[in-house]
Amino acid sequence: MSTLIAIGAGIAVLTGIGAGIGIGIATSKAVDAIARQPEAEGKIRTTLILGCALAEATAIYGFVIALLCIFFLK
Amino acid sequence: MEELNCETVFTIPVFGGIGVSESTVVTWIIMAALTVLAIVLVRNLKVENPGKIQLALESAIGWAQDFFDGVMGVRGRAYIPYLITVMLYLAVSNLIGLAGFKPPTKDLNVTAGLALMSIILIEGSGYRAKGFKGKLKSFAEPVPIVLPINILEIFIKPVSLCMRLFGNILGSFVVMELIKVIVPVLVPIPFSCYFDIFDGLIQAYVFVFLTALFIGEAVE
Repeated sequence: MSTLIAIGAGIAVLTGIGAGIGIGIATSKAVDAIARQPEAEGKIRTTLILGCALAEATAIYGFVIALLCIFFLK
Repeated sequence: MEELNCETVFTIPVFGGIGVSESTVVTWIIMAALTVLAIVLVRNLKVENPGKIQLALESAIGWAQDFFDGVMGVRGRAYIPYLITVMLYLAVSNLIGLAGFKPPTKDLNVTAGLALMSIILIEGSGYRAKGFKGKLKSFAEPVPIVLPINILEIFIKPVSLCMRLFGNILGSFVVMELIKVIVPVLVPIPFSCYFDIFDGLIQAYVFVFLTALFIGEAVE
């Protein structure tokens, strides 16, 4: 049973893939934008941080589900 | 593993015992500290020849007001003090792990309470700005077919606010504990800068920013 729970938690944490890809794309675009318009760096940085925090949330959901699996499926 | 749970510190012996958990006690400490700071820092404010503290306070409050004004517009101005209060509380409680306390936001109940307060404020501000009928009509905007999605959003918004904050703080806490177990000396310092300070401040910022964004959406 505990192996199955561990496998389930591992699968839940796979949501991190999406967040990783999303944050990677966002960062690459931000680097592009800063290279083109260095004077807009401050604005780009705040928007990027906000977008990253929002994209990260999906990975966090997976993490929370994994924790719930481990704690409540004994 | 016992670091993950929030223990009950003591029990109030009425109605068969009300448990007071650790997060509540830490919240009391934060409340006391913030209240004392609020009283001490605003003493001796003057219009002419302001002191250094007053200038710092004014620039901080001015920044926050400009920020929320930009997000919510003029109509949301009445909600700025609440949002600044929540931001201060979240920033302090996310950083309090550095002082050796357990962050209260690591407890799901605290973030759920904050998210509930946020969604009540968001929906209430909509009713206040548009009137009862106007708000009910706004559920069927821009096209009536989005009505179920709009109703579902009332429940999705607080769940996502709550889970984002809780998951981030708990996640960084777990990672830090693991790093401390593996290498207890010197290595955790740069990780602590990221996971404790940067992540905590960003999450406080994101929480109030999203609440302000939703309020701005509701009152426009």
